[in-house]
Amino acid sequence: MEPVAQQIPLEHFLALSAILFSLGVYGVLTRRNAVLILMSVELMLNAASINMVAFAAYASPEKFTGMIFAVFIITIAAAEVGLALAIILRIFRNLGTANVDEVDELKW
Amino acid sequence: MNMTDAWLLPLLPAAAFVALTLLGPWLPRKGDWLAVGAIATVFVMVLLIAADFTDALAAHGEEFAGAANSTQWLEVPGQLELRLGVHVDATTIVMLTVVSFVALMVQVYSLGYMKGDSRYGWYYAVISLFVASMLALVLADNFLLLYFAWELVGVCSYLLIGHYNHLRSAAEAAKKAFITTRLGDVGLLIAIILLWRATGTFNIQEVIAAAEAGEVGREVLTASVVLLFLGAMGKSAQFPFHVWLPDAMEGPTPVSALIHAATMVVAGVYLVTRTLPLFQLVHGGPELILAVGLLTTFMSATMGLVMTDIKKVIAYSTINSLGLMFVALGVGAPAAAMLYLFTHAFFKALLFLGAGSVIHATERQDVSSLGGLWSKMPITCVTFAVGALSMAGLPILAGFWAKDEILVALLDNKAAFALAMATVPLTAMYMARVLILTFFGDPKEPESHEHAHEGSPFIFVPLVLLAVLTVFAGFVAFDQVGELMGFPGGIGEIIFLGHPHAFHFDWNVAIGSSALVLAGLAAGWFAWAARPSVPGVCLSMLRPVHALFANKYYLDDIYQAAIDRVVLSIARLVAWFDRNAVNDTGIDGGGYTAKFAGYLMKFQQTGKMPNYALGMVIGVVALTLVAFTLKG
Amino acid sequence: MQSGYILLATIAVPLFAAVALLFVPSRHKDAIRAFSVAVGFALFGLSLYAFFAYQLSQVEQYQFDMRWMWIENVGILGENGITLHLGIDGIGAAMLLLTGIVTFAGTLISAKIDYRNKDYFILLFLLVAGVFGVFASLDLFFWFFFYELAVLPMYLLIAVWGSSSVFSTFARTKEYSAMKLTMVLVGASVLIFIGIFAVFVEAGLGTFDLPTLYEVEFDENFQKIIFPLFMLGCGVLAGLWPFHTWSPDGHVAAPTAVSMLHAGVLMKLGAFGIIRLGMQLLPEGAEFWMPVLIILGTINVLYGAISAMAQTDFKYMVGYSSVSHMGYVLMGLATMNAVGVNGAVLQMFSHGVMTALMFAMVGSLYDQAHTRELAAFGGLVKRMPHFVAFFSIAGLASLGLPGFSGFVAEFNIFLGVFRTYPALGALGILGAAITAVYILRMMARAFFGPENDKWESLQDLSRVEYAGGAVLIAFIILMGVYPSPFVDRIADSVLRIPGIG
Repeated sequence: MEPVAQQIPLEHFLALSAILFSLGVYGVLTRRNAVLILMSVELMLNAASINMVAFAAYASPEKFTGMIFAVFIITIAAAEVGLALAIILRIFRNLGTANVDEVDELKW
Repeated sequence: MNMTDAWLLPLLPAAAFVALTLLGPWLPRKGDWLAVGAIATVFVMVLLIAADFTDALAAHGEEFAGAANSTQWLEVPGQLELRLGVHVDATTIVMLTVVSFVALMVQVYSLGYMKGDSRYGWYYAVISLFVASMLALVLADNFLLLYFAWELVGVCSYLLIGHYNHLRSAAEAAKKAFITTRLGDVGLLIAIILLWRATGTFNIQEVIAAAEAGEVGREVLTASVVLLFLGAMGKSAQFPFHVWLPDAMEGPTPVSALIHAATMVVAGVYLVTRTLPLFQLVHGGPELILAVGLLTTFMSATMGLVMTDIKKVIAYSTINSLGLMFVALGVGAPAAAMLYLFTHAFFKALLFLGAGSVIHATERQDVSSLGGLWSKMPITCVTFAVGALSMAGLPILAGFWAKDEILVALLDNKAAFALAMATVPLTAMYMARVLILTFFGDPKEPESHEHAHEGSPFIFVPLVLLAVLTVFAGFVAFDQVGELMGFPGGIGEIIFLGHPHAFHFDWNVAIGSSALVLAGLAAGWFAWAARPSVPGVCLSMLRPVHALFANKYYLDDIYQAAIDRVVLSIARLVAWFDRNAVNDTGIDGGGYTAKFAGYLMKFQQTGKMPNYALGMVIGVVALTLVAFTLKG
Repeated sequence: MQSGYILLATIAVPLFAAVALLFVPSRHKDAIRAFSVAVGFALFGLSLYAFFAYQLSQVEQYQFDMRWMWIENVGILGENGITLHLGIDGIGAAMLLLTGIVTFAGTLISAKIDYRNKDYFILLFLLVAGVFGVFASLDLFFWFFFYELAVLPMYLLIAVWGSSSVFSTFARTKEYSAMKLTMVLVGASVLIFIGIFAVFVEAGLGTFDLPTLYEVEFDENFQKIIFPLFMLGCGVLAGLWPFHTWSPDGHVAAPTAVSMLHAGVLMKLGAFGIIRLGMQLLPEGAEFWMPVLIILGTINVLYGAISAMAQTDFKYMVGYSSVSHMGYVLMGLATMNAVGVNGAVLQMFSHGVMTALMFAMVGSLYDQAHTRELAAFGGLVKRMPHFVAFFSIAGLASLGLPGFSGFVAEFNIFLGVFRTYPALGALGILGAAITAVYILRMMARAFFGPENDKWESLQDLSRVEYAGGAVLIAFIILMGVYPSPFVDRIADSVLRIPGIG
């Protein structure tokens, strides 16, 4: 009896993760609100986590490397959100907007 | 003292130079006794070496070529060996005698003349270095040592011309002398290297032997000989390099006597004498020497006629004499040239030292402010007259025998003979002029005349000795005199470079030239003593000619203009090009290009985050595609 | 005793001196001076020892050999991957001595520096360590490391302790000169860097060890492609036309001792690099490219000399004369025959000592008069007889007067050049005559003639300047009168360079 996860083909996980990742990319590129961009980034991170977990389950089920990575990613994502939201908050306070098109100080 | 010990000769004065330079201020009398002692010892050694040479000559007969001794200086194994060596033969002995004797006289004279000079010790140091270099130059058995010494005498001359360095004119004259001779030296150095390239040696005898054996290509030999002659022309102040010598009179007068009359300036003559076989191998080589010599002789005689500075007149007479020596070499009579060189050293040194005595006594050197000095300075007057008449070529004085020897050698070449004869009365005339204007007539400045007096024994003893030699030195040309002095086969054997009995005496030439000398002297006496109005009349009639002579054929002006207008303009142009084109455009241009590229590139920095994100995505996708394509 | 630790000491002593100075409070200026001069003297002693302990006619090409392993058998590195391999041949011995002399004289002259002299000496010693390292290294990696170490402190030394100049037609700030110098040299070293890696990869031995790489016979086309990288990269540091302009501007802006080290030693690194990396590694490439180098060298000689003639500033004149004299070095190297290359190395030594003396003297004058305008001076000999004597000796040596080192070197170069390219040799000799013109013009104008009352307050050389100058003069005359100790060492090694006929 193979593990439950393996009853579903790997391709399905990969497809899910790819769709999720593409949605994230699309969001990052098209959204103008910094908070929404941040959410899209989260989507991409989650897509990566799914990949990690799926590969781990198929390639070396006896080890938990993929799952550990996924936990790391979640942790880092949390920290990142904390940091990013703080920055966005400061930007909003200072510039009166969270529209990234209007925040273009980061140049010559 | 053996001939092979001759290498010691330059070392003595060189040691004196080192001692005086390093310890000078702490030595008693600033060390002049060291310098004089060194040169006196050298003179004695030269006599001993000469004796050894005559013994060897007696033992070996006419084919005795001399003795050599050398040591290695520098070696690139298998590729190059540079040696320093000495070679003693007849020519060397003549030169050694001249150099050491005149140097001794001049150094003794300087004890009086330079007394109280603020740089007395340095003067003696440089004179010692000069003597050392000059001895090395005449002893050199190879071109390398010769060039080495050649440049060192040049720099000593530079230092001594500029001795009174607070004078702008002295500084400029020293510079001019060095640069002018240096231009000739470029030729000399190239010639030396070309000859080395063709023969593989620097040894003068070996180079000549190789060239005579046809080992040197015709073009190379021609080029070398012409370039070699350039060096000789520069050093011996031949046209068109002669301009530095009259200016060199800015130096102390004893220096003019030693360096710019008796020794250094004849180095060119000596070099050509040594390498004459090379010239004779080249088509037109001797003719080149002859032409340059004749031109120089004639031009300097005309310029000597109008100069008013007593030293400059003598300087032009030196150029005149040097030209005459080259004339002798040009017609293949090195013996005559050497005889002239030998006697010239005495009477020209005498003339300069006499002039120095006058300058020392009156502090004037322009003949227009002198005059009537015979009563105040009888010794100087008599000795100077002996020198001047010898230079003019009056019979039985040394200059007469030597000049006639050259004229005799010229007999086969009518045009050259005529031109040389034409300068004879000119020479006599300007020597008469300088003699008369300085010592006879009325004093033009009574005050300075009042204070004039004969100098210390240091000054007049060398004058007398040189005057005695000027009277008698010419007789060495006769075999009987030489044998009387203990030289087998006559002293002529030494002077005549192993061609004994080469002394020709031609009564026709002698009478003819003597007549011309007398005519010249008479004309001089007439113009400047008997009828003092004559020069003024002539001047008004021949103003343009006078201007041409007095302005030295405008050569100095032309050179000056060439340097100021042409050379310096080119230099400024190059410097401008370097600063503006090479640096500001080329090198800085590179910097500006980078800066401008950065300016263009910065606009892709929009500061908008989505643009960067889009860039990243496109990049990742592109890289992925590339990776797949390459893998597939 | 021939221990490689002597060479290591020449590098380590200045490095440790720099570190030690960090811990000295900067208010003890005199202590810092004394310590630095002592270190300079120690380096002089070490290099003198290395030079005279160098054995002639030995079988080994490199003496004082020592090797410290750094990394090997890791990744792309194989046996003896990167090692601190030190050793000198006769050329290196001469250069080491030169560095010792100039460093000693330079520290003596630097005793005059008062502004932040601790920082100054730290940077100076870093630079000196780099120079010694280049001359002693037999490993490409460390060679390049030391090369950069020698170049970079120059930026700060010029930008902080240098001087800006304003002339009627142009101005040069010290920052500009320092930046240009650094940028040009670093840019050039990129070429060397590429060349080093190309050689490393092509050899495929996984080692940067030079003697090992010398054994490799590189493909002829490879040599022809890579040699110009070394030729240009190192040539720029040697003042190769038309990339020479960093040098006069850099000299002028730099403080005295830095100019001395810069013109005296640093420019020699370039020429040394052409020998070590170019000619020894890639002999066939060298043979192919040398006609280009000799033409550039001849341009250097004439162009530098003619430019020097038009300069109105003492230091610019000396700077351009360096460009001209380094041209002789390039000409000598490009002859590819033993006499010419020997002459080139002699000239490296000779020019180093002589130009250091010139810069020391210019510095002495500038420190007092605060101007370097040639036309502003006159009759200096009365107030400053020793200054004039020293400067004149340097000047006469530079115009190739026999009895001074310049003649021996230039004579050898001319002989070498005439063997292969007589016409260029004649131009080279003409260059020496032009040198005479500008040196003598300068002397006649500034040193002699009537005294200018404006300069009544000028003092003659101070004791440290006198000592520094005397050391340099001693070697100028030693080499001019008795060149055998130098030639024996250099010629022996030159003959071992492949392709030297």
